[in-house]
Amino acid sequence: MLGLGLGIGSIALFSACTPTDTSPLADGRPEQGGVLTYFEPQTWTLLYPPSVGFYPNGGIMNNISARLLWQDPKTLELHPWLAIELPETNADATSYTFTLRRGVTYSDGTPLTPENVAKNFDLFGKGDESRTLPVSEQISNYERSEVLDDRRVRFHFSAPSPGFAQATSTMNAGLLSDSTLDLDAEGFGPGGAKQIHTCGPFYITDETIGTKLSVRVREDYDWAPPHLKHQGRAHLDGIDYLTNNEYSVRIGAVLSGQADGVRDVQAPDESRVTEQGLRLYAKATNGINNSINFRFRHDLLADIDVRRALIAAIDRQEIVDKLFTPNYPLATGLLAKGAMGYKDQSGSWVYDPDEAGRLLDKAGWTERNSAGYRVKDGRPLALTVNIALPQPRSNEVQTLIQQQLRRVGVRLSINPGDQSKQTLDALELDTVQIYHSMVARADFDNLRSNYSSVNRDVFLNGPDRTDADDGSVDPKVDELLDALAAEPDAKKRQSAAEKVQDYLVDRAYVLPFFEEPQVFAFRRRVHGFATEPVGRPDFYGTWLAGEK
Amino acid sequence: MILDIRYLALRLGQAILVLLLAFTAAFILLSLIPGDGVTARFADPALGLSPDQIADIREATGADDSWASRYLLSLTGFLTGDFGYSVQTGAAVSTIIAAALPSTAVLAASGFVTAVVLAVIIAVLATSGPTAGPLSWIRRILDSVPSLFISIPVFWLGILLIQVFSFQLGFVSVVEPGPAEALVLPTLTVAVPLSAPIAQVLIRSITEVQASGFVKVTTAKGASQSWLLVHTVARNAVLPGLTIIGLVFGELVAGAVVTETVFGRNGIGLITAQAVTHRDNPILLAVVVIATFGYVIINLVVDLLYPVIDVRLRTKRSAASANKALRNHDEPTRRALTASAASVGVDLDWAQTPGDTTAKGSES
Repeated sequence: MLGLGLGIGSIALFSACTPTDTSPLADGRPEQGGVLTYFEPQTWTLLYPPSVGFYPNGGIMNNISARLLWQDPKTLELHPWLAIELPETNADATSYTFTLRRGVTYSDGTPLTPENVAKNFDLFGKGDESRTLPVSEQISNYERSEVLDDRRVRFHFSAPSPGFAQATSTMNAGLLSDSTLDLDAEGFGPGGAKQIHTCGPFYITDETIGTKLSVRVREDYDWAPPHLKHQGRAHLDGIDYLTNNEYSVRIGAVLSGQADGVRDVQAPDESRVTEQGLRLYAKATNGINNSINFRFRHDLLADIDVRRALIAAIDRQEIVDKLFTPNYPLATGLLAKGAMGYKDQSGSWVYDPDEAGRLLDKAGWTERNSAGYRVKDGRPLALTVNIALPQPRSNEVQTLIQQQLRRVGVRLSINPGDQSKQTLDALELDTVQIYHSMVARADFDNLRSNYSSVNRDVFLNGPDRTDADDGSVDPKVDELLDALAAEPDAKKRQSAAEKVQDYLVDRAYVLPFFEEPQVFAFRRRVHGFATEPVGRPDFYGTWLAGEK
Repeated sequence: MILDIRYLALRLGQAILVLLLAFTAAFILLSLIPGDGVTARFADPALGLSPDQIADIREATGADDSWASRYLLSLTGFLTGDFGYSVQTGAAVSTIIAAALPSTAVLAASGFVTAVVLAVIIAVLATSGPTAGPLSWIRRILDSVPSLFISIPVFWLGILLIQVFSFQLGFVSVVEPGPAEALVLPTLTVAVPLSAPIAQVLIRSITEVQASGFVKVTTAKGASQSWLLVHTVARNAVLPGLTIIGLVFGELVAGAVVTETVFGRNGIGLITAQAVTHRDNPILLAVVVIATFGYVIINLVVDLLYPVIDVRLRTKRSAASANKALRNHDEPTRRALTASAASVGVDLDWAQTPGDTTAKGSES
């Protein structure tokens, strides 16, 4: 994106004279009707469910799709949705049997059948490279499906897959009609949105490539999760998802009343937005915290004393205080407090620059060069960190860390470039040694998605890498994560998850900063806004006051 | 005959050659950038694909084919109207371009017309004030308007216009505006910086023509300022203006990238900005070729218009040699041209020929 970056300045420009939103905060009985207009910073790219982790995609898929199970965003417990009960599982979690609700239809009129559900998971669990449709990150060890009778379908796994039940509740497992399942990547992309048929409370009716997507309510929707008080059709008549890359225009459109809501309010603007009368919603994403990961396979970071020194030299509290608001709580563990598997490790990261200096001296980084950076064997202690563009104020966070590390004689460079360059450079150990990221999934498997060498591999710990010698691999990380992934018992999964976190913290592999929220602003006539467990908007219960 | 067939064929051939060269240069440059769109998209850790799966996708999309076969494939694709598929979304590039092109064409046309109108107004006002005396400051201020306009950042202007006219005054809506409503502010955003170079050239050429001998003669005969402007000055000042109009097309495209991004208009500019972010080479290649095509067409039209507007350039020889003849004061040519110029009412001033710069432009 162009990153015109005038946001703050231009908000200051108009905030003095834009009329304040004075709609009464009338709660009470939900009213039916009205189309909500909602701004996203980027246009959606792909509505293939396993690929909807990208925020703009997920914000749409979450509202048009229904899933086998429903996960309560507060308790993270699973409840029935299109399956009438929780699945029957065998002892080692290699088989799951779902019984389907009757009478569910897709927006193209076709019914939800066991055959159709089987076809969905065959695609999500295996992917189809010939159509460039990747396998779902959330479904591990998928083997095959089996239709038992006209209501039941069973899924088989080659190894325990205890995360599967939760995976069926996420928007990445939004069910698609048979015709939609035959689409290729082009069909799921811009220009083809109206071919995508789902069975959620809204369906896609109109698309203007690059700027707008319209969904409208399904009057016949009668299969909301039984756990919810609200049943039947959604209150809204529809939602118009609008895209504008320019931050000040998005915020300005909501402040001036031209739009109802916006995602991605930046921390410095929160107070101005509320002063104008808008409602601010900061929703937890319940995942891995916003963190930096030390790629220990790089020889500069191989020494645990160096990693501990970096951790001691970074003042996390200063980052949160200077750059963020109370909606971004200081991390107390590798996971957010609301995440499954959370363990409090708040005492593990103490800011102590003197200690950092001692540790670096101990590690042999005693000399300084003319620029004031520590040198060993003629080589400066110089590291590079990526900019995590989807993460809030990543560049500012890294700039602050750069200053903090400079004080102890460590040079941190910030890798420049756009999204593609960040992605590509972050795959190279020689280019990026410190990796800034976060990932949200409301399941224990989140740890595996992030740290395992077969998933996101934030440490670049894959044994077959050629840019680091084999002795630098830490096989223990994958061992602990595999043990977690193979543990079918929920209670034992908690202790397996804690073992992973203890190990990563003891080895000083990770430094978490804060629990990352999704921050939305809505005009006061918008009521009942909610999000699913990882902070994507859920407009099913949303209603507009004053709409008839 | 106004247009020489051989000249036309030559210019068309040149245009096709320019297109081919632009395509090739863009292809080579995009191939040189490390990391392609397929890797950028599918190696994203968020997708959690294994290296084997990525390799399979690379093979399926032909990303690992030799550059020569990819070059031939995309070249033949372009010749048959098949621009390939976006690596970012998988959608056909032709679909994306087809959705974006009309919006950009409308914006470019309205922005361009507005820019020309604005430039003419500025130029006329700036050159009609008194050059000396107590009111000469008006002229000096108007004279500096183009420099001011050209230094306004396009995105700043766009945001300012939205803030004032949409959010504060509520004249137009940025959310679901009508077709005309959606065009007003982006058009102004594109037009203001675009009008600057046109106005500057017009001011200079009007000033030069005003200072020339035939104008003095006409003034001596009793013509008023405004009569002069319309009947003699304008005609002679229009050719340099036409040349610069051909040249500012590039700025029009650049302005559209920013303007469409600020206003959230789906156009070639917006998809270019997005394609750059995502290394979407098939889209970038198509945009380069389309932009070059537009540039070539506009300059071809401008070149072909010269002889229509300026009779001195109507000759079987190329425009360049005609101009050479003029400069050499070739007596028979001069006499012939003066005669034909008189027949269409164009005043020629041999000492100071605005056509000089024009003819140089047409050589390129």
